[in-house]
Amino acid sequence: MNWGSLFNSASAADEVQKQQKRCILLWMNGGVSQFETFDMKPGRPTGGQFRPVSTNLPGTQVCELLPKISQNMDKLAVIRSMRTSQVDHPGGIHLMHTGYASTANIRFPEMGAVVSKYLGQERSDLPNFIKVFPHFNSGAGFLGPKYLPFSLSPEGRLPTFATSSMKSHIEARRNGLRSFVEDVYAREHKAEIARAHREAYQSARRLQNVHKVFNIDDEWDSNRELYGDSAFGRRCLLARRLIEEGVPFVEVGQSSYDSHADNFVWHRSLLPPMEHAWVGLITDLEQRGLLDNTLIVWMGEIGRTPRINNRSGRDHYVRSWSTALAGCGVKGGLVYGASDEDGADVKDDPVTEGDFFATIYQALGIDPETEHYNGVRPIPIAPFGSEVVEDILA
Amino acid sequence: MPEVNPKQVWKLQFEGAWPTSVAFLGPGRVAAGNRDGQIFVWDLTDQPAAGPAEGESDAKDKKDDEGANVPPVRRLDGHTNGISHLVSTNDGKLLVSASLDHTVRIWESDASATGNADVVLDRTTRERESKRLPQDKRQEFLDRPGVAVETQDAAAVLKGHADWVNSLGISRSGQRLISGDARSNVIVWDLEERKELSRWAGHSWNGIVAAALSPDGQTALVSEYTYKRDDFDLPAPGLKVWNVADAAQKLDILKVHIPKFDDQATTYGAASVWRKFIKGGLITVDYSPDGSLVAVGQGGETDTGQVHLFEAETGKLVRTVSGHKYGVCDVRFTTDGKHVLSSGRDTTVRICQVADGKEVAALGKGRGGQFKDWMHGIAISPDAKMVAAADIAGFVHVWQVWA
Repeated sequence: MNWGSLFNSASAADEVQKQQKRCILLWMNGGVSQFETFDMKPGRPTGGQFRPVSTNLPGTQVCELLPKISQNMDKLAVIRSMRTSQVDHPGGIHLMHTGYASTANIRFPEMGAVVSKYLGQERSDLPNFIKVFPHFNSGAGFLGPKYLPFSLSPEGRLPTFATSSMKSHIEARRNGLRSFVEDVYAREHKAEIARAHREAYQSARRLQNVHKVFNIDDEWDSNRELYGDSAFGRRCLLARRLIEEGVPFVEVGQSSYDSHADNFVWHRSLLPPMEHAWVGLITDLEQRGLLDNTLIVWMGEIGRTPRINNRSGRDHYVRSWSTALAGCGVKGGLVYGASDEDGADVKDDPVTEGDFFATIYQALGIDPETEHYNGVRPIPIAPFGSEVVEDILA
Repeated sequence: MPEVNPKQVWKLQFEGAWPTSVAFLGPGRVAAGNRDGQIFVWDLTDQPAAGPAEGESDAKDKKDDEGANVPPVRRLDGHTNGISHLVSTNDGKLLVSASLDHTVRIWESDASATGNADVVLDRTTRERESKRLPQDKRQEFLDRPGVAVETQDAAAVLKGHADWVNSLGISRSGQRLISGDARSNVIVWDLEERKELSRWAGHSWNGIVAAALSPDGQTALVSEYTYKRDDFDLPAPGLKVWNVADAAQKLDILKVHIPKFDDQATTYGAASVWRKFIKGGLITVDYSPDGSLVAVGQGGETDTGQVHLFEAETGKLVRTVSGHKYGVCDVRFTTDGKHVLSSGRDTTVRICQVADGKEVAALGKGRGGQFKDWMHGIAISPDAKMVAAADIAGFVHVWQVWA
């Protein structure tokens, strides 16, 4: 039996909701290289072909592929000491979406589902958890289908079920008939699934009221330069619009970082549009007064090896890698933790996946020790023993 | 041209960072560059010596037919990042290097040395062999002297680029150079005057990955490419012929060959139109000696990397030749235009007949696990007898291919 969404205080969620905090996850699918972003090792055998550039944070350098980020480091908290436990893609993606390693017995909720539960609005026309170009769907797990993600295509288009080609009065009649049939079924079967289905259907219908939010064309020309002319830039603009409309969690994906071959060529193509859009998003949120309440999380599921293989690539690595946070009370201009001279291991202040999730929840005003129950087993939203990295939070 | 009858003559040790490029300086000397920006010059005028050179380790797996090793005589100093290409004039007097340090450097082969240095070119071998020694002997073994070389500085540094210089070509006369960078800028240089003759840019989302000048230096073949920006954002590549004098586009080969090619579209669907033909980028190009054909190699990690031969004037595909497992690294026509050579990610250099595409020889053999070591840059000696190739495992191979 799933008691996951029952054993929680509604008043606690109400209190958190008042803070109006939001989160955007920039998901670098495949595992972006720390050596080609925030933890360069110039002059070392592991250093690779790019060169570091100075930043607006004295004494801190980043990769030359991040010129815009380099001038916005005062807004970022970079963690150079991630040490996580799942080195393959499925395991890593699950881990870095839920905070937990995948198990056969428990379906853990994604971060977006947790945020949706505590920061979402009950009767919003917009979903509370939206993924633009999703790469994984562990979903709401034991929190239940109410907190499932709503997924958009790589172009940010709504799924076909979210739009209707019928005239509104015809659609209303059809919905009335469907509701009648569903009511009869629910009375006779007393099934939870019927209630969940009705909620999902009603959510889809309410999307009709807000479908214009998803069409960024009216804003794209004026924002093209800010976000960069790329698919990822368009996704980030859409994320800003959704956040502005009150969606508490939006995940924006960029694919193809799994650079076992041609690591340098690949990062050379992937990073410039990504960093352009990322800085555009930070700037836009800041200008609209939203950055103070919006947490931007930047990460992939794994890092990449110090060793460069004979395919000019880097393989999977989780002993030492990098992530970054911005906004929502995160200290800007901070580099937390350090790796050793070759980037082979964490030298100072290791941060586990649990610590990272605890810090994110804390920044969003959600107590990381909040427990849900899977059967009789209490499960905190950040794993037992996780510690908030207090130095990162203002 | 005599019959192809390859025999490896030299196997020059150049361990450390990957050797990427190679060029002959006349028939008796060869230069090679690596990913650290080092360039060394070897003198090959003497007959191959038996066994390893003094001060260098003998490779454990060395076989009699692999060629001999000699130490280099000179190191060319100045680059601060990887060497992407080396080219030389036919008389061997000038060597030109392109680098990821944003510069092109010109080296005079008869220049006086500027100093001396002790260099270690068997680092990988030493590290492997040191593991068989007692712990207290290892560091001493690793730190023992290498070989003495002269050092030399560049005669000129060409600074027209602001990013990685990925591509470099030279006209047959040796009067003009072409270089292209990762920001899509192309520059044609007067090599003697060491100044820009012409400059243009490709699409801003691409980098210039290959460039070559026609034998008379009047036209240029330029390949633009970038890896995808994600699975649903794939900028279109370019393969165009340009007039050097006015930097005007003369021919768009991809539009000739692929009627539905849309160079402004970045969607998955648009990319499916060109993906099979381009594979991991057309990353190497060369003009035939008479300028009638161009050879274009499919790079990246692909199933089978091949070489397309096009008519230079019309862009018509003549035939596709060769076949490297996992992609082509470099391509060169022989001086008589009868053969086209390609190096690849399968540790081989393949020699194919231009007339019918038949492969007549494969130099080297696959080395590695599932993914093989790359045979990177290649060069043909001015007397059209020798072929050299940069092997990422830390060697420069030199074969006598034609008697």
